[in-house]
Amino acid sequence: MDNSFSKKGIKIIGVIFVLYAVLVASHKGEFWPFSIYPMFSQAGNPWTRAMVLDVTDLPDDQIWETHSLYNRFAEPVPLKEHGIDQIDFSNFISKTENWTPERREALRYMFGQNRLGSQRWMASKVRGQLVQEDSVIVEIKPFLLVTADTVRMNPTLDKSEYFNGEE
Amino acid sequence: MRWYEKIGNQLFEPNRRVTPGELIFFKFFELFILLYTIYYSWSWGLYTKLHNSEVVLSLGLANYFDVSYLFDHNIPLFIAFLTSILGIFGFFRKGPKWLYAVVFFLLHLQYVIRYSQGEIPHSQNMIGLSVFCLAVGSIFFSDKQKMPRFVLGAIIFFVGLGYTSAFFSKLIGTGFNWFDGRHLWLWISEKSVDILSREGSFQLNFLQQLALSSTLLSSMILLFGWLTELIGFTAWWKKLRPYTISLLILMHFGITLSMNIRFDAFVLELILIGFPWYKMIDRSVSSTPAWIQKMV
Repeated sequence: MDNSFSKKGIKIIGVIFVLYAVLVASHKGEFWPFSIYPMFSQAGNPWTRAMVLDVTDLPDDQIWETHSLYNRFAEPVPLKEHGIDQIDFSNFISKTENWTPERREALRYMFGQNRLGSQRWMASKVRGQLVQEDSVIVEIKPFLLVTADTVRMNPTLDKSEYFNGEE
Repeated sequence: MRWYEKIGNQLFEPNRRVTPGELIFFKFFELFILLYTIYYSWSWGLYTKLHNSEVVLSLGLANYFDVSYLFDHNIPLFIAFLTSILGIFGFFRKGPKWLYAVVFFLLHLQYVIRYSQGEIPHSQNMIGLSVFCLAVGSIFFSDKQKMPRFVLGAIIFFVGLGYTSAFFSKLIGTGFNWFDGRHLWLWISEKSVDILSREGSFQLNFLQQLALSSTLLSSMILLFGWLTELIGFTAWWKKLRPYTISLLILMHFGITLSMNIRFDAFVLELILIGFPWYKMIDRSVSSTPAWIQKMV
């Protein structure tokens, strides 16, 4: 091998680099496997995740109340045991802007239509934020009640929480 | 010599003789990439078949056509099968030299089908990038002397670039106060919710308890990780590479401990590309086995 190999190699890398830059610039920083690795780039902002609470044995008048993580009224359903990717689920809940009937059905499909039986699972949004400069509060907002044959929205929340007005 | 040619010389070391240890190591590395490619392809395919029904987020090629048509009729499993077969043929150098390019295309397709549900994971990027470099290397440098050198050099280039760009993403996204320890508190709480949701229970570990007890300590943890990302590009220089990669591995362990995010494939591949393992192999072999010669 000689320097001509090295020159050819770095030129090819240069071409790939340009392709890389064009692809990530035109696709919000991501065109797999190319990425500008933007995770954790915006620090300090409130975050929203999701979890499923098992509300099978709770009365209807209690299950829709927003409450804190540390005083939660039901135990979380361990999604791993049900073969569901937690991050996937969390993004599905937090990034969906229009909860159309199809999207609600897709959530039921994600849980597995035959898995629920007589159980009632509450897909909940969980929000964390810094308060008073030195502590973090985490709040659970019950969002969608999933049963074997229905997906119900929280009647105490405004419609704008489920539909952003654009289809 | 121009500056970029100097970087090329550091990445490809054209004046260093190709040794048996280098070829044996490269084949081992390629096997590592192939096994992960097959594993990802099947696990993504199976997940899609069981759980995907709607596209929430379009990534990569999914921006240009509706991938939900590929959720059904066992198409993800067919893609996994094809990826595996073509990958194995590519590994044994049977067939045309563009086989790895097809494998890369199929793996990209499988990724955008699987991750159409909202998550943008990065832990598989290094494997995807490696398949891409294998594809480019086998097309432009099918010579058994040059291909290993190009593939590993190109991977190191883009790994270094990726870490350094991650530093600047944070600087642009937040500013110089990115390493404020309270930001780590927020992330620890966020990840604790993820674990709680995934496992049904969560306990803070020792490092997380320490970080939550002191803003100074949590700030130092973030600053260490951030500065380590900044120097990612120094892995392009062969003498600095083992030190830079060691720091990056340490940073990943720190992320795992503080934020419960695992990067198994990432860290394993860093261990493979960051150190001159071929020197160790050369101490125990004097010639390249014929069966390796055929497959490089």
